[in-house]
Amino acid sequence: MDANYSLMAIEIATALLAIGVLIIGLLVPKEQRYGLGYLVTIGLTGIFFLTFAFYGTNTKLFGGMYIVDDFSIFFKQIFLAAGILVTLAATLYVKKIGANYGEFFVMMVFATLGMMVLSSAGDFITLYLGLETMTITFYILAGFKKGDSKSAEAGVKYLILGAMSSAVLLYGLSLIYGMTGTVIVQDVAALITAGGGMQPALIVGLVFLVAGFGFKISAVPFQMWSPDVYEGAPTPVTAFLAVGSKAAAFAALIRFFLIAFPDYQAEWKVLFAALAALTIIVGNLVAIPQTNIKRMLAYSSIAQAGYIMTGVVAADAAGIKGVAFYLMLYVFATVGAFTVVMNFSSNTGSDEIKDYAGLAQRSPLMAAVLLVCLLSMAGIPPLAGFAGKIFLFSSIVSQGYLWLVIVGLVMSMASVYYYLSVAKVMYMADPTDNTPIVVPVGAKATLLLTMGITVFLGVYPEPLSVLATIASKALFMIN
Amino acid sequence: MMGNIGLEHFLIFSGTLFCIGLFGALAKRNVIAILMGLEIMLNSVNINLVAFSRYATTGDLTGQVFAIFVVAVAAAEVAVGLALIVAIYRDRMSVNVEDFDWLKW
Amino acid sequence: MLIKYAGVVIIMIWGIVFPAILLGLSKLFHPNNPTPTKLSTYECGLETQGETWVQFKISYFMYALIFVAFDVETIFLYPWAVRFQSLGLFGIVEMFIFMAILIVGFWYAWKEGALEWM
Repeated sequence: MDANYSLMAIEIATALLAIGVLIIGLLVPKEQRYGLGYLVTIGLTGIFFLTFAFYGTNTKLFGGMYIVDDFSIFFKQIFLAAGILVTLAATLYVKKIGANYGEFFVMMVFATLGMMVLSSAGDFITLYLGLETMTITFYILAGFKKGDSKSAEAGVKYLILGAMSSAVLLYGLSLIYGMTGTVIVQDVAALITAGGGMQPALIVGLVFLVAGFGFKISAVPFQMWSPDVYEGAPTPVTAFLAVGSKAAAFAALIRFFLIAFPDYQAEWKVLFAALAALTIIVGNLVAIPQTNIKRMLAYSSIAQAGYIMTGVVAADAAGIKGVAFYLMLYVFATVGAFTVVMNFSSNTGSDEIKDYAGLAQRSPLMAAVLLVCLLSMAGIPPLAGFAGKIFLFSSIVSQGYLWLVIVGLVMSMASVYYYLSVAKVMYMADPTDNTPIVVPVGAKATLLLTMGITVFLGVYPEPLSVLATIASKALFMIN
Repeated sequence: MMGNIGLEHFLIFSGTLFCIGLFGALAKRNVIAILMGLEIMLNSVNINLVAFSRYATTGDLTGQVFAIFVVAVAAAEVAVGLALIVAIYRDRMSVNVEDFDWLKW
Repeated sequence: MLIKYAGVVIIMIWGIVFPAILLGLSKLFHPNNPTPTKLSTYECGLETQGETWVQFKISYFMYALIFVAFDVETIFLYPWAVRFQSLGLFGIVEMFIFMAILIVGFWYAWKEGALEWM
């Protein structure tokens, strides 16, 4: 009651933006709602600049339930950057799918709000609420395309598997609550020690948590939902899902495991190292034979989750810095690639890689952006992905996980193969249809931004690297 | 006898319920039945939370508050689930998961 | 210990015995002259036509869905209602914000035609 609510200004502003756009959508007639998409983009941009004012806050609210620190602010910027780029690119696409226009953008903002709450969650209840705010809006968004059976099917599948993983996660949380008697993440570590160390019920709880979080970040034994949902969902949703949902789950996972179970690092590090290796290998190998570009990107994003998890295995400031840095640049690479896919499919109605033949002639911009984004994901030197992988891999080498680095490097080489085979189709093959593809203004802005930032961060990663270092230090600072 | 019901009874009950729900969610073919299985899983968590807050802590009500939030979120989840099922039913005229095969599982 | 539950048992037994007595008395005293009309199933005054396992019209579904979503939210009103005096002005403002968000949702459902008869 005596909490300082101005510390939650970012979340409050986001919630007000969502409700405000919902109300405006009700007041203006249906044909005039097309400005709402841009309104959301502008609103999110404003909130994005607001977040910079919160660096260095590092406070707890409500007795540790809600944490405002540099780590959460950095992740909020990741979500906002993704939200801005996706809403900017999606305006025309959403108009075309003929669903309720304003509702789509309202849902996007609500999903962003859920991610923000998740990244700031300091206790189990906040964590669960943030997680569900995000996932339930994504169930709706995945099934958003009216009259498209693939979209509805993606929604139902995501709902069933997502709800199941939430229930498993929740059961784990309830066991940890029962064994320690607290829901505050920061108090868990001390109470486990006081309660006589690791009891069987706690271990079961921990395993359930790994399964629940593993599902959200689509780590390998729990990845089966993501290719289907990525393929079936409307493409802007897929982009936002791949980036935002994954980053938010990583934020919660890092805070949870590093703060609540620091004394059992040896145990869960082994588990995460195995999961990371498995995820990298399976994601990359299964991506190779894919013929649908959205499925290919889905498997590649599974592999990316594996790379990011190596930073969690390191479990120190350097590793977390690598995770934060990689997630931010992953936003630009993924949103750029999916914007190309979105624009291509709304022009030609196809998501098949073979139809990308001669894209370089039909739309040089789209082909260039897709090439840059894919190569950044593969980690080719002058691009941002290379810097990100250096940060991640160097953090675990010093901890003796050389074998994991070797797995990562070998599979990165393998990933270059399927990324370049798309490039080959785009640049070498002749187009079957020579009509140029028009890129609408919003999508063009997104494409140029993502390509520019990906190249810029590859050449000059310092600014983002400094921010990521601040974020990672804040995580360990708070008590 | 009556006075002896303790934490372990609730835990066994909720564990059993969780397994029944999980089995239902994995083995059933009807989507509505799967949703019911998911609800059973969430309710087993609620039993856990309330039992822990009664027996494992000294007068701490956080578990009960948590349970209230779980109930509210579960309602939202099931509302969205039913809406999606109606959407897919209008298209396929079926609520059987085996018919949802346009995307590879 | 057990004696505290004696009241429950007595109510249960009385709950069985009392209706039995009433029904028995009614059976003893009522006049008995059945006709075919009297013996037919009572169905809102109409005979059922065809299958009883028909599918219900989907438009009922929207009401049910909206009911589910809003019904459960009242769960948050109970703890507040019990303690609202000690929560003071802060609690009232908080609850009004909560209700306002719900009302926006309800307004949206209404305006978008979820409550229309389809």
